[in-house]
Amino acid sequence: MASEEKHLEEIKQAVIDGDSHASAQVTSDAVTDGVDPLIILNDGLMAGADVVGQRFEAGEYFLPELMLAGRALKAAMAVVEPLLQAKYSSGEADKGDTGVVVMATVQTDIHDIGKNIVASMLTATGFEVTDLGVDVPLKSIITKAQEIDANIIGCSALLTTSMPFMRDLIDLLDAMGERERFKVMVGGASVTPEFAEKIGADGTAPNAVDAVKLAKRLIRQQREAKGVS
Amino acid sequence: MSTAKHKVIFQPMGVRAEVEDGTSLRSAARDAGVAIDSICGERSTCGKCKVVVQRGTFAKEGITSRPEHLSEPGGDERAYWEKRRKGIEARGENPDDYRLSCQARVCGDVVVMVPEGSRAVQQVVRKSAREREIQVRPMLRKLYLELEPATLDNPRGDWERVKAALAAADPVTRGPNDLALEIDALAIDLPALRALQRVVRAGEWRLTVTVRGGREVVRVEPGFAERLVGLAVDVGTTTIVAHLCDLPSGALLATEAMMNPQVGYGEDIMSRMAFVAEDADGLETLHRSVLDGLNQLARRVARQAGMKASEIVEIVVVGNTTMHHLFLGLDTHALGVAPYVPALHDALDLRARDVGLTAVNDGATVHLLPITASFVGADNMGVLLAEAPHEQDEHWLVVDVGTNAELVLGNRERLVCTSTPTGPAFEGAHVEYGMRAAEGAIERVQIDPATLRPRFKVIGSETWSDGEGEEAPLARGICGSGIIDAVAELYRVGVVTPSGKFAPDARSPNLRQGENGPVYVLAEAEQTTIGREIPITQEDVRQIQLAKAPLYVAAHYLLDAFGLEQPDRILLAGGFGSHIDTEKAMLLGMIPDCPLDRVHAVGNSAGDGARIALLNHDRRREAVDLLERIERIELPVQPGFQDQFVLALHLPHMTDPYPHLEGLGPTRAANPMAAKLLGGDTPATDEETD
Repeated sequence: MASEEKHLEEIKQAVIDGDSHASAQVTSDAVTDGVDPLIILNDGLMAGADVVGQRFEAGEYFLPELMLAGRALKAAMAVVEPLLQAKYSSGEADKGDTGVVVMATVQTDIHDIGKNIVASMLTATGFEVTDLGVDVPLKSIITKAQEIDANIIGCSALLTTSMPFMRDLIDLLDAMGERERFKVMVGGASVTPEFAEKIGADGTAPNAVDAVKLAKRLIRQQREAKGVS
Repeated sequence: MSTAKHKVIFQPMGVRAEVEDGTSLRSAARDAGVAIDSICGERSTCGKCKVVVQRGTFAKEGITSRPEHLSEPGGDERAYWEKRRKGIEARGENPDDYRLSCQARVCGDVVVMVPEGSRAVQQVVRKSAREREIQVRPMLRKLYLELEPATLDNPRGDWERVKAALAAADPVTRGPNDLALEIDALAIDLPALRALQRVVRAGEWRLTVTVRGGREVVRVEPGFAERLVGLAVDVGTTTIVAHLCDLPSGALLATEAMMNPQVGYGEDIMSRMAFVAEDADGLETLHRSVLDGLNQLARRVARQAGMKASEIVEIVVVGNTTMHHLFLGLDTHALGVAPYVPALHDALDLRARDVGLTAVNDGATVHLLPITASFVGADNMGVLLAEAPHEQDEHWLVVDVGTNAELVLGNRERLVCTSTPTGPAFEGAHVEYGMRAAEGAIERVQIDPATLRPRFKVIGSETWSDGEGEEAPLARGICGSGIIDAVAELYRVGVVTPSGKFAPDARSPNLRQGENGPVYVLAEAEQTTIGREIPITQEDVRQIQLAKAPLYVAAHYLLDAFGLEQPDRILLAGGFGSHIDTEKAMLLGMIPDCPLDRVHAVGNSAGDGARIALLNHDRRREAVDLLERIERIELPVQPGFQDQFVLALHLPHMTDPYPHLEGLGPTRAANPMAAKLLGGDTPATDEETD
């Protein structure tokens, strides 16, 4: 039987290599050998995701590597997720800085590569993501967020002409008195931090790696605010 | 005795002229189609017409240029420069090289730089009409009539009299390509009718009648008036170009270009649409601004040909769908949001005066070519008319590259089109030292495969940066074609790997550590006007990858629709398309594999298409037929789009073999990542790519 360190190292490497076949296999092996699923998640999969993020930021990795890593993470998550749920069924036990996210390309836009990559990276890093697809009416986004009690609404628009709908989404949340309930992340090729600030969003990120960091920061803010109140 | 002629070259446009001794530089420029400002009316006071003499020998042109090849400055001009002498010297320049072009007369060969501030229209990209065989079948005819004078015995109305004379003249004067008159259906436009009585009498019962489409009199002139001209206009997002043409012969009389005045409200079509959506008067503002520009341009192009704009009786306008809608004052909202629907697809004939084109003749008609799709506009239809892929047996791929790219693939059997945003990297935006294609921009790059050192050429100079003898040109930034060259060269010599990463083992003296990782220095600080190195950063390479991948993917799905591996021929259209080195474009994987001698830069095809439609009414009908036939595909909803996009990020592509690049780029090996990506979510089997 391999040591816990060796198992975690293999899992981490499979994520870095973007090898979903291997990542599912080595994660299963680790589970069989009795490694705690939470340790697999944090010290294997997330540790690998961190390295991928660093390499992406250094310019060494690009979108293909990022997508492969996302797939490798997803394949491994399919193995550990049921175990985690069984073990920590109280649910709230300790989600750390991850949470529930609703994602969509807003109505009038059909471009979704960027949104898909962010969604898969969020899923891969432990977020529970509901992806509503493209050209999604604002009302449907909000209704889904209420229904699953989301922490974050992540919306995206590639075309400049569709960007105003992200502002409308925030205005609609305001009008419904639901703005405080959700954090709103916006994204898209033409979205700038200035735009995000102007429309009253909680933030934007230039790429999927930063989007994950932003989502985690927003979750922490939300939990702190709740803790204080 | 003939007077001596001298050669004049206007930079940075590169416009050449041959002028008579003693011609003023400004009028030489005007005749050559380079507009130089003058506010004071050539009184040596405003300085708006200043130019800078370029000293030296320009071997390619066979010209030696020096200040003495211009007449001595007179008193007024001397006084003007005296006040500015110190300022010029402080910039390290020679005051003697500065001249007012309205005063300086040409007495020898000379090369002058027209600074941005002196150009009547700044940043003009001169798209000149290429020689192209166009069969002339004009929409309009002119008929000279001699009427029976009205008498008490014969008190018929003037119009009835004209109709009778037209019926008699038509068969006698009709050429083989002219439209026959339909006398029973003949109508007359109200302004022409209002002018008729005066014209008939002023010409003593002799007049010239302009008939459009064989059915409508649109203009009447006293006596014999031969001139019959029309205007073909390409309203580009950045540049508007107008060609004045003689309608009976098809001859190109003059061409003028100007920057689209809407640029001030947004650089690309998306930001113009956003302006319309966000600003209460946005639509009206943009509509007015393009019409003001067109009226001005119509006057300028007519003046260049020595006539008034009111001579223009027919106009054909092409432009992308956004430009088309703004020209007509149509809301652009629905164009920019799914499902991306234009107000109409059909061709249109409208009175110029109703649209707001007031500079041209009152009876003039504007014809707009049909729109293929929201992002594939009448400009694309112009390209199709000009290049005619629908008349070929071979499958031609027509690619019009800009911040938005339109692609059409097909032959006489079938045509399919699509469009894709490419991002702004091709226009120099989102690139660290990126700039528009203007003076001082690096436009060509070569890297020596042995030393891995670069050399470059900038716009406005004939000399390479390592050129000998000549003073080496200085760079201010890098434009789209320069970035494409640079990244393609970096890949070719192995400094950048197929994945787009700077190779960790590359040993080039120009590969250095920048603030955010490795950079490749194209121009050293002393080779620039900005006093800093101009590098290509890792992020710049990534931006080019993101811009080129959708182009390839668009071509991929078009080829897929035909079940083809590669097109028989590729045509790169548009101002940018004609500046790209086709080999570099293929090395990067902007276009699919094809024999390199079958890849052509065809220049401003849209403008050529507008001329064709102006001169030949059959071709207008052909455009409408094409509209019916052309199939459209929407890329983002194609199955596997995302995977195709990721495969296309690699240089030139992760899996496409590109046999015609054999020997031109680095040897390519199978990429293990491809198998993982194509394996999808299910764990990949052990089958590797071969």
